[in-house]
Amino acid sequence: MTPALALVLAAAVGASFSSRIEVVAAAAVLACGVAWIADRRAFRRVLRVSLVLGGIFAAAAATAAVAWASGLDRGLMIGGTVLLRLVVLGTAAAVVARSVDAETILRMTSRLGMERLGLVFGLALNALPHLSETASTVWSAHRVRSGGRWVALRRFPALAEVLLAHTGRVADQAAAAAALRGHTSLGRMAAPLVTLARTVVVTGPTGSGKTPLVRSLIEELGRRGIPVAGFLQPAIVEDGEKIGFRIQDAATGEVVELARRVAPGEGKFGTSYRFFDEGFEFGKHALRDIPGGAVLVIDEFGPVELRGGGHWPAVERALRSAEIGGLLVVVRRTLVPALIEALDAADVVVVDLEEEGVDPLSVVMDTLVTDSPVCSHVGGQAMTEE
Amino acid sequence: MKDLRPWTHAALYGALWGALEATAGTALHLGRVPFRGEIMGLIGLVCLVCLRRLQPRVGVVLVAGMTAIFLKVFTLGGLYPGPLVGIATQTLAVELGFLVARGPWAAALGGIIALGTNPVQRVITAWIVGGTEAATAVLRAVGELGGVRAGWVLVGFVGLAASIGAVGGVGAWRLAGRVVRRLGGGA
Repeated sequence: MTPALALVLAAAVGASFSSRIEVVAAAAVLACGVAWIADRRAFRRVLRVSLVLGGIFAAAAATAAVAWASGLDRGLMIGGTVLLRLVVLGTAAAVVARSVDAETILRMTSRLGMERLGLVFGLALNALPHLSETASTVWSAHRVRSGGRWVALRRFPALAEVLLAHTGRVADQAAAAAALRGHTSLGRMAAPLVTLARTVVVTGPTGSGKTPLVRSLIEELGRRGIPVAGFLQPAIVEDGEKIGFRIQDAATGEVVELARRVAPGEGKFGTSYRFFDEGFEFGKHALRDIPGGAVLVIDEFGPVELRGGGHWPAVERALRSAEIGGLLVVVRRTLVPALIEALDAADVVVVDLEEEGVDPLSVVMDTLVTDSPVCSHVGGQAMTEE
Repeated sequence: MKDLRPWTHAALYGALWGALEATAGTALHLGRVPFRGEIMGLIGLVCLVCLRRLQPRVGVVLVAGMTAIFLKVFTLGGLYPGPLVGIATQTLAVELGFLVARGPWAAALGGIIALGTNPVQRVITAWIVGGTEAATAVLRAVGELGGVRAGWVLVGFVGLAASIGAVGGVGAWRLAGRVVRRLGGGA
């Protein structure tokens, strides 16, 4: 903040909180003097005809009102105070508007430890031209469709609905873009999932065979005597339509229902599914008491988890407490960057099931089951076991 | 990583409100349109209620209000205290409404407080600009001109504005419901 700005703001505060005409007059002299010396253009803005006339009108109204109640002398004094106060506030407004820009605000919020608020302001500023343009376009379309001004006014809620929905969509896109690019400063960053175990991320489009691959892997690991823990989340399909999810313990094969599709607006975690607490409890149980050297399977890690909800806390606890030999996470393609950002892993191999010429099961087995030392992570300290 | 959507929604709905304050608000102000405070109050109410219905988190409305104030400071109105006092009061009113009630009742309560305090906001603005004595004298003069006490004039204005706020709040809630359906479920 420049000394000129600080002086003008001090004058404005002094004038606002004092009712003595001498104090307000001194503040007016200070504000005008500083503006004249430091920013003459700002001072000229205060002298615009409309502002001067408005100030005179307000002072005259105050004079008349007080004169009515307490006599002319008192009225003139209060009217003078009002006029001087308006001069101070107008000068302060002009100087502030010219010397404080958006960048300054962002720097200030960052310095005050409110970086997130600064980013919100930045996003709002960036979105402003887009929103204004949309509002203008929507209004034009609305006028044309409505045929006349009165019809347009009567159908105003429809216009508002379109504009508000568009704003919501842009906000969703902004959040998705921020998440996918790994910009987490807007959100409260959860502690990353720390693991030194060999990690494989399996991805691919819907129906590409992610869950069957995980089943094959579990069978193969079982044949080799390597313990498995974690869970699978197969879809519940009725008449070719996905209507929910089950959760299956990777070690025991037990299954319970996790989520069921519901009517729009009734879903949880920003999804169109209602989740059952028993499902999450089951998931928690599947991640408890993991044997040493086991391969931990998480099928799948969704947007809910990447926002710190759903199975995230249980997975985090499991990675902190268990000495796992490998980690396999299934995730949809769009969430791969966000997952990798959320994982604090020593080495990550991404297997895309649509990649040609690759046997995904071999790649996954080769990565997870090797003869190299098993690394684990216990109580926040890395250790290596032979 | 936590959900970013409350922040982005607060930013976008705050930006929308700020943009409407800067454009429609300035136009209404320059055109000396009657009940311009109430009209802008209703617009703000719709933005905030819709935001709160899409992102039902405590504090999200406050962030949107701060964003709208931030944008308003850098527009034609500059630091003119009236709209800034209005935006801040309205933000607190809607947040309070949703803290103590739920559903359309919360929106109606927010509307009642937000618009019901509109005349009080004018008194606050008059107090900032003119001081205590000028604000009291203006109120008394208005009251005596009408042949009733100043307090009753204020009560009358508050009652009228609060009624508009209640109806506006419920309307905003229903409109927000349509927006949620249009977006396919919302939060």
